[in-house]
Amino acid sequence: MLSEDQRDALQELINIGMGRAGASAAAVLGEFVQLSVPRILILRPGLIPAALERILGSEPLTAVRQGFHGDLRGEAVVVYGAAHCRELADLMGYEDLLEPGAERELLLDVSNVLVGACLGGLAEQIRAEVGFSAPSLMAVDEAAASLIDVRDVDLPCALFVEVNFRLEVRSFACHLILLLVEEQILVLRNAVDRFLEAL
Amino acid sequence: MATTILVVDDSAMARKMLVRALPAQWDVELRQASNGVEALAAYRQGDIDVMFLDLTMPEMDGFEVLETLRAEGLNCLVVVVSADIQPEAQERVKRLGAIAFVKKPVAPETLAPVLREYGVVL
Repeated sequence: MLSEDQRDALQELINIGMGRAGASAAAVLGEFVQLSVPRILILRPGLIPAALERILGSEPLTAVRQGFHGDLRGEAVVVYGAAHCRELADLMGYEDLLEPGAERELLLDVSNVLVGACLGGLAEQIRAEVGFSAPSLMAVDEAAASLIDVRDVDLPCALFVEVNFRLEVRSFACHLILLLVEEQILVLRNAVDRFLEAL
Repeated sequence: MATTILVVDDSAMARKMLVRALPAQWDVELRQASNGVEALAAYRQGDIDVMFLDLTMPEMDGFEVLETLRAEGLNCLVVVVSADIQPEAQERVKRLGAIAFVKKPVAPETLAPVLREYGVVL
């Protein structure tokens, strides 16, 4: 579905978005954020749980989902380990254990910053207009394999983009996953082609 | 005599964009590397004048390349070209010996002034 050139270009465009998201996260958290090369996979939805388990391991996870719409539609999922949620509260200067409601707000805020910067950076490169729905908590202390209900994704394949953010001096890390169904992968592929033709 | 430029990036598209951003009138010999290991191999041949170096790469990232270059006695001008636009990243690469940080995507007008500041007029 993607040629080697298209995959390379998409990875680099997402890399630019990821860089912006990293800078935004660093500003919010007050720590240097280590970035890794984004990974792009096209998967049948049935394979997504196994991919999540491979990337995220077996610890219980908390996840925030945020839809995006406009010229490009899909869903971003930001995944945190349970210990990383507490680390996040500590990083943000909360000395005591947060009330569940406040911790939820914190996760939603940080996820919103990451998703907005990453997708905003991608959209700007391909000259797409993208809007965002409000982020919502989709899972608390769930196993990786059951984070995303694949029955919700009824098309033959999905673009799985994995971006990791890790702090150097703390154990905090989170993962940003973008899910696009086949029709939207083609929209993105056409946008990438236009970008490449303009080079 | 042509200036030898090494463009280091894991993305072929990013390397192409960087090469396109070089002013057409520059007399350069271009080399390319797709990761830090390849970059160091090219550097150790001894004739690289200017290296445009990405930070986020597999195999060996740009920070590790800079650390190695510094340990070996940095003998070329390194301009970091990266999407990692954290102020801390920019400070770190300067501390490791890079002469400048250029953010991605590279705007064509950004490269000449950076090198001119270090006496490189191509």
